[in-house]
Amino acid sequence: MSKSKLKKARGIEELKSRYGFFFVLPWIIGLIMFFFIPIIQSIIYSFCSVVVTSDGVKTTWVGLENYKEILKVDPKYTTWLTESITSFAYSLPIILVLSLILAIMLNQNFRGRVFFRALYFLPVIIATGKVMSYVFTTTDENLVEMGVSAGMASGMIKVEDLTSALNMGTEVATFISNAINNIFNLVWSCGIQIVLFLAGLQSIPSTLYEASKVEGATKWEEFWFITFPMLSRITLLVGIFTMVELFINERAPMIEQVYGKMRGGQYDIPSAMIWFYFIAACAIMGILILLFYKFILKRYEA
Amino acid sequence: MKNPLKNISEADRLRALRYAKVGTGVAYSLIRYALLISIGFLIIYPLLYMIVTSIMSTTAFNNSTRVWIPTEIGMKDNFSKAIEALGFVKSFLNTIKLEVVSALLEVVTCAVIGYGFARFDFKGKKIFTGILFLTILVPDMMVLIPRMVNYSNLDFMFIGKGIESLVAWIGGLFGAEWIINITPNIVNTGWTLWLPSLFGVGLRSGVLIYIYIQFFSGLPRELEEAAWVDGAGPFKTFLKIAVPSSSVVFITVLVFSLIWHWNDSLLSGMYLTSDLPLASGLNTVVPYMVQKWGIYFTANTPQGASIVMAACLLFITPMLIFYMFIQRGFIESIDRVGITG
Repeated sequence: MSKSKLKKARGIEELKSRYGFFFVLPWIIGLIMFFFIPIIQSIIYSFCSVVVTSDGVKTTWVGLENYKEILKVDPKYTTWLTESITSFAYSLPIILVLSLILAIMLNQNFRGRVFFRALYFLPVIIATGKVMSYVFTTTDENLVEMGVSAGMASGMIKVEDLTSALNMGTEVATFISNAINNIFNLVWSCGIQIVLFLAGLQSIPSTLYEASKVEGATKWEEFWFITFPMLSRITLLVGIFTMVELFINERAPMIEQVYGKMRGGQYDIPSAMIWFYFIAACAIMGILILLFYKFILKRYEA
Repeated sequence: MKNPLKNISEADRLRALRYAKVGTGVAYSLIRYALLISIGFLIIYPLLYMIVTSIMSTTAFNNSTRVWIPTEIGMKDNFSKAIEALGFVKSFLNTIKLEVVSALLEVVTCAVIGYGFARFDFKGKKIFTGILFLTILVPDMMVLIPRMVNYSNLDFMFIGKGIESLVAWIGGLFGAEWIINITPNIVNTGWTLWLPSLFGVGLRSGVLIYIYIQFFSGLPRELEEAAWVDGAGPFKTFLKIAVPSSSVVFITVLVFSLIWHWNDSLLSGMYLTSDLPLASGLNTVVPYMVQKWGIYFTANTPQGASIVMAACLLFITPMLIFYMFIQRGFIESIDRVGITG
């Protein structure tokens, strides 16, 4: 069948382009049905008052009322927003650095590597929000009982202790205490990032390291002049993945609240909430990606 | 200042250097093990906690002198209660029917779509690639409600209404009242999950398509071009040439898709009201316990911990077994898929 068609089409490229469209066609249909239309509806809902009736939803245009409601009237929304952004601010750098260090270590040859790799990929398999939150409902108090040192127990390190004992600024102390209190969450969020970094490390040609060894470079120099530049692209990928994950995962404070409201059958205010959140998140992600591109990627790719 | 190493012979100097090197090597591997083990502990800890808590009785859990080893075993009671609260057998079958099928559908369609993106140049490819990344960024939460509304009367703004009036028109032709009165509603059926997967816009399909694109772009073209020259059509080429040499990427994508589907309770919790999968069942364990046995599970009253942990363990065990089987292959395949681009 294809031979006759080959002759009819003006060229093999044009034929291929036509076929390519067929391959992607289901996705385009799905995109329109399950993505574009719902997104437009979601925008409309955020500007309307939505009432659910037995024969579908009734929308009445209210303009910016919903947005005014969440930003000016409801004090909780802005709290959730700042909560989300602070948790994002300390989670992102820690997850990236931690997973890079772990990936580098897991990429080396040592006894027990297979075991540790399997162990560190576990979070990929069972990092369910609900399971983790169940575990931490009781462990906060029980960590000390269970034989974990007091310092590691979540909630044990207070901001005041840090500021008074170490003479730190409040912001730094808050950052550190947040990070320590969430250490389980953070480590458990590193699964896929470690996998991706490992894949990136594997793709660096070993000849580069051999050459640097001949030149007498130290491990430290090796990292900064070979590993880090060669990983800059994958770092961007991992960074984007982590940011998206942090913003949209079901344990993010905002997502949790909005989901609760939506399940309660309220459609208009949650739509406005999620839209404002999405735009804020996109702005933050955009700025970070631009900065990364300008200061790291451009420098190494040039 | 005089160089203290000046009078040392060349052989001694080399030996000292070698010792120093061995020393840093040992120190380095010690640090590595210390770090790997301590962070590994953070990963294994919740698992151990789950296992230990799930096998001990409530009295043992409340015993403040106990550290790790339970003073009283209440495994049978905990697990039977957990199985009841989860509705385990039914939820498990539901999970297979809804989530696993949906994951498999997604793996197949995303492969076709990813191949299309990687191998062919079609009109608007650049724009569509951009949109693909946009779909990764947009949280499901944004399309959840509109999708729900659309599912409830199959009304994708105008498309669904068109289908409905077509059905009504056909019904009118035959004069059959029951056909006219059909109002398609797929909420609370598996289609709410299968349909998006079937069209490649399911749970995180964007990421999966991206992985496929990266892999297929890296696959050598020669074989496929040869098949083209021999007169095989594009679909035949895809099925007979590209698919057999892509087991690596299929494993990776299957693992991701299965795990994400297994763990997802946002979508199923929204679209389904009965016949819930395990992930949603896990959310209702605590209310069920309170209602049925009056056992609470909060930070201050953690009596129900043993049952809840047993339920968690039941929930993750299938994925753990699955992981044990594919673990080696998965780690290798991750290395070879070339997600890194």
